[in-house]
Amino acid sequence: MIYDEPRVLPGGDTFVLVQFGDDARIDLNFMALGLTAALREDRTKGVIDTNPSYNSVVVEYDPDLIGADDLAQELRRLIEGLGSVEDLELESRLAYLPVMYRDPWTKACVEDYAQRIAPRDGDPEFVARINGLEDAAQLARVHSGTEHWVVAVCSTPGLPLMVALDPRCAITSPKYNPPRTWTTLGAIGVGGLSTSIYTTPGPGGYNLIGRTPVPLWDTQARLPAYRDRVVLLDAADRVKFVPVELEEFEYIERRVADGTYAFNITGYQRFSVRAYKDWVASLDPSERF
Amino acid sequence: MLEIVKPGLETSIQDFPGRVGYWNQGFPPSGPMDMWSFRLANLVVGNDEGAPGLEAQFMGPTIKFQRDSVIAMTGANMRPILDGQPIPMWESVAVGAGQTLLMGPAVAGARGYLAVAGGIDAPEWLGSASTFHKAGVGGLDGHAVRAGQVLPVKEAAGTPGRRVADRARPTFPGGKTWEIQAVRGPNDDWIDDAGHERFIETAWMLEARSDRTGYRLTGPDWTFTEKATNKAPEHGDFPSNIIDQGYPLGAVNLGGQTPIILMNDGPSMGGFICPYTVPSAGFWKLGQMKPNEYIKFREVSVGEAQKLRLALDETCTHDSIE
Repeated sequence: MIYDEPRVLPGGDTFVLVQFGDDARIDLNFMALGLTAALREDRTKGVIDTNPSYNSVVVEYDPDLIGADDLAQELRRLIEGLGSVEDLELESRLAYLPVMYRDPWTKACVEDYAQRIAPRDGDPEFVARINGLEDAAQLARVHSGTEHWVVAVCSTPGLPLMVALDPRCAITSPKYNPPRTWTTLGAIGVGGLSTSIYTTPGPGGYNLIGRTPVPLWDTQARLPAYRDRVVLLDAADRVKFVPVELEEFEYIERRVADGTYAFNITGYQRFSVRAYKDWVASLDPSERF
Repeated sequence: MLEIVKPGLETSIQDFPGRVGYWNQGFPPSGPMDMWSFRLANLVVGNDEGAPGLEAQFMGPTIKFQRDSVIAMTGANMRPILDGQPIPMWESVAVGAGQTLLMGPAVAGARGYLAVAGGIDAPEWLGSASTFHKAGVGGLDGHAVRAGQVLPVKEAAGTPGRRVADRARPTFPGGKTWEIQAVRGPNDDWIDDAGHERFIETAWMLEARSDRTGYRLTGPDWTFTEKATNKAPEHGDFPSNIIDQGYPLGAVNLGGQTPIILMNDGPSMGGFICPYTVPSAGFWKLGQMKPNEYIKFREVSVGEAQKLRLALDETCTHDSIE
């Protein structure tokens, strides 16, 4: 549901959570990212940080500079100024990320889980099957056939939560239960409606369908892409996965290791929600790649 | 220069207020867990309240001074000993080159703070020197201090013989139970009335598996409203699952049935509800609690929590130094 009036809920004395609705429809994320952009542009006094997600934004504020009631009022003013969701145009870069689908490393990670924790078949085959796809090869085709929208960047540094923008490429899958205790660094995971990339080798619950050789964050500014930023992706960016085979994967790994890898990121585009919706309406959703 | 002879338990360089403003890239604020004690340690040696210092947890470090300096220790009482002689806490003390400071196990509280005149000279990364070891950033090398490491200190004279006024020091409870403030929200409407009553009535035990990331609590089961039990499937399987949302610092985050208070190095986002949030003025208490001690929550409004924050700010000033 989309709330008629966004809810501004307290999170202690220095945070509020602004909720636009209570489900995962992408319009709610567009609104959350619209508000995030508006707060950045407005330089609202006392606002310290914003943390957008599927249907909400956490706003951190300094109560010495702005009271809770005034903040709520400012937030409502900015939300009103956004107009309808179709009116939103968001800054959005497009990052091409290499991925080896059905790679040996995530396969080994899933096998280790199956051996130690709970029986399990290969993840790509499982995800393909429950989505009515022919095989894991078609899963790779479908997954790399769409731009993925970065809904949020979170938790472990630079970890993007993404959803497919092309409804013909949407896949859904249940998460691991119990979760994995470790995950291959750079693993591409799918769970629920989302895709993520594991930026640290920690625990996780998404099904592993491939691996990227490129880092999504870099605190040492070793690669040129990280000279003026720490994490590669921001919310509202888009990712297109480019399938590579082992030889290419290892070549990219070497370029990353010697600090010469150049990311392919397109930066001039704005994402128009109206244009996107018009395009979606023109599609035959039963088509699959 | 501080030479680390023994590191203690995960002793780390922190500054105040920490790495603020990078939640949306997945970097938590870090910083000292007991900011009250930390700020006063800096003020009493003559530093800005935020200068980089050491946070020692449960077991303090042993440190050899490579030049004359002025130091102060606050927070948990780790019975500091300088070259065999006990020295006072909450006071600025002159130390000479070659002297060794021994901080022991915490006898009251959990986290001890050491400030040194000038502050530890650690590089700022994203605006802060605070250590966040999960990402390997902050401090000298992104991790807790190690034996043999030498921590550079900025040049400053410092004034020995000053003390933090008694009225300005945090007091730890006599028993094992800490009363800690909690503000309702953001997801309080997922918990039913009985669940809210239980939250306030229960003495929640702090589990040993608690650290700078999160504090796990043991207590009774939670009960939920229809919002939690009758919801769209994309929220997840458990009543406490919600579509991923950002978390406030201090959120009482309900993972299944286990409440976890999200601390300074905690996650920025996830798929569990947060029915309550510990406000900033309650954080120092969490920093000084030990596992197997208890929390009784006291509900406060946002306005009350902000007044408490202001009162804490007013305590952490030069007026509290005599």
